[in-house]
Amino acid sequence: MKNSISQIKKALIEKKMSVGELYDEYLAKAKSGNNNSFNLVIDRENNISSINDSQNRYDNGNPLPLDGIPLGIKDLFCTKGIRTTASSKILSNFIPNYESFVTQQLLNDGSIFIGKNNCDEFAMGSSNETSYFGPVINPWKNKNSQKDNLVPGGSSGGSAAAVAEGSCVASMGTDTGGSIRQPASLCGIVGLKPTFGSCSRWGIVAFASSLDQAGPLTNCVEDAAYVLNSINKHDFNDSTSSNHQREDYLVDINNSFEKKIKIGIPSDYLEDVSDDILNQIDNTKKALSKHGIEFVDVKFKTTEYALSTYYILAPAEASSNLARYDGIRYGVREDGESLDDIYLNSRTKGFGDEVTRRILIGAYVLSAGYYDAYYRQAQKVRRLIKNDFQRILNEVDFILTPTTPNEAFKIGDKLDPISMYKNDIYTVPTSLAGLPGISIPSGLSKNGLPLGVQFIGNYFEEKSLLQLAALAEKELSFNE
Amino acid sequence: MSDIDIKRISYLAKLKLPSEKEEFYSISLKDIIKWVDNLKKVDTSKTEPLHNVTEKTVSIRNDEVSKSNSVDDVLSNAPERAQNFFKVPKVVE
Repeated sequence: MKNSISQIKKALIEKKMSVGELYDEYLAKAKSGNNNSFNLVIDRENNISSINDSQNRYDNGNPLPLDGIPLGIKDLFCTKGIRTTASSKILSNFIPNYESFVTQQLLNDGSIFIGKNNCDEFAMGSSNETSYFGPVINPWKNKNSQKDNLVPGGSSGGSAAAVAEGSCVASMGTDTGGSIRQPASLCGIVGLKPTFGSCSRWGIVAFASSLDQAGPLTNCVEDAAYVLNSINKHDFNDSTSSNHQREDYLVDINNSFEKKIKIGIPSDYLEDVSDDILNQIDNTKKALSKHGIEFVDVKFKTTEYALSTYYILAPAEASSNLARYDGIRYGVREDGESLDDIYLNSRTKGFGDEVTRRILIGAYVLSAGYYDAYYRQAQKVRRLIKNDFQRILNEVDFILTPTTPNEAFKIGDKLDPISMYKNDIYTVPTSLAGLPGISIPSGLSKNGLPLGVQFIGNYFEEKSLLQLAALAEKELSFNE
Repeated sequence: MSDIDIKRISYLAKLKLPSEKEEFYSISLKDIIKWVDNLKKVDTSKTEPLHNVTEKTVSIRNDEVSKSNSVDDVLSNAPERAQNFFKVPKVVE
């Protein structure tokens, strides 16, 4: 079992190790690079003043909430003076001169960045195979075919693999349709997507602005609460940032619920799924029933429309957001005789296949004559999906679903885009509704690979969601 | 569903697909559009489109001048610059 943030902080307070020793241990693992989980590892000399400052605070007895904790950062967050590529060729030379809101909060709280985690190009993918810097390898192996390299999931695949391999204590990811929860599930770790509007999108390379949300990938639920405490703040620079009062997510996280809890399991999610996946739901149900939690069957009316809605809205927003990459102001320029040629050449050579595909889908559904039939209709169906969730959450406190329909698969196995998109069947509906979801490890498949379950809570109720996840985690924890 | 004019769509997106890839993207786009076509059967005659999922009021900061990026910051990633400008090929004769 890996050390949690509170265990590491305790060791630093008790001087069982120094901040520098802690950092070096993680840095060495990150530098070995066996799983290609980092696009960039930050040199020790560039972190030396942070290490020393952090050690001083421990020595003076006033450490910050995340003091000295080595973190990975998905290469989608702009980091001041540190190359930020979104795993794309077109941004492969981009050095931001500002820090994203979320990463600034993590720095303010004393954490130290190990490097930038590999991800799918512009966060578009479910297997981390679309990265310009090559695929990330899942640290887990199928016990029946040890030689095969498996995907870590995506798009925050490098973040998930880095936490699982132990090259950072936690990593910041982003989730548009499942990009935190799905890789967390396939790598056997915890992944939290907060409510849309909780954590500022400012300084995060935009994919689909009505869906993108930052969140942590961690070894345990308590660590997710540590990170959420740091990053969940209102920000004027993001017009969708909510200005509600935030809670302390660590307080009461290990307490039992004072009221009777009811959890809904959508039976339509469990049609045609494998025994491996059904077992995760059954085990979770058994474990939590012991604590007096009641489970009821719930039925959604909109599940069959969720992926279609997502694959219209997300590419539409992406095609608009990615219009900014034109080879003029930043990023890689490909020469051309005219201004138009520069646009065309830079974009065509700068984007990979999946990003190109999604830009084309977006341009199509937004084009004259198709806008109402596709984009506007999808926005309307999105409201029906949201209403559907609200109806269910009036009946129950939480919803329990599998996180993924399958275990980690072989790199190169899924070439058809639609079968790849179906990987997000359980995570996309939550994203469309904007609700918070957390994936926690729930057990191993017959092949010895990790699987997860997802708990979904109500808007901005991350506190009780984490409390439930912490309770389930105690019952479901398994050894590697 | 009518045929997809991949040349027109790619030009709208400012992409110049190599001819050997036009068919690849054309087929792929057709498959995906066919797959999402099931939304057409949903009755949304009484439903308003949803833009911002939490539908919270946008919070507005006080209109005070604050320090922002300098010209050098903004131009620091420019592929080509001349003085305080981004440089591009001549547009107007």
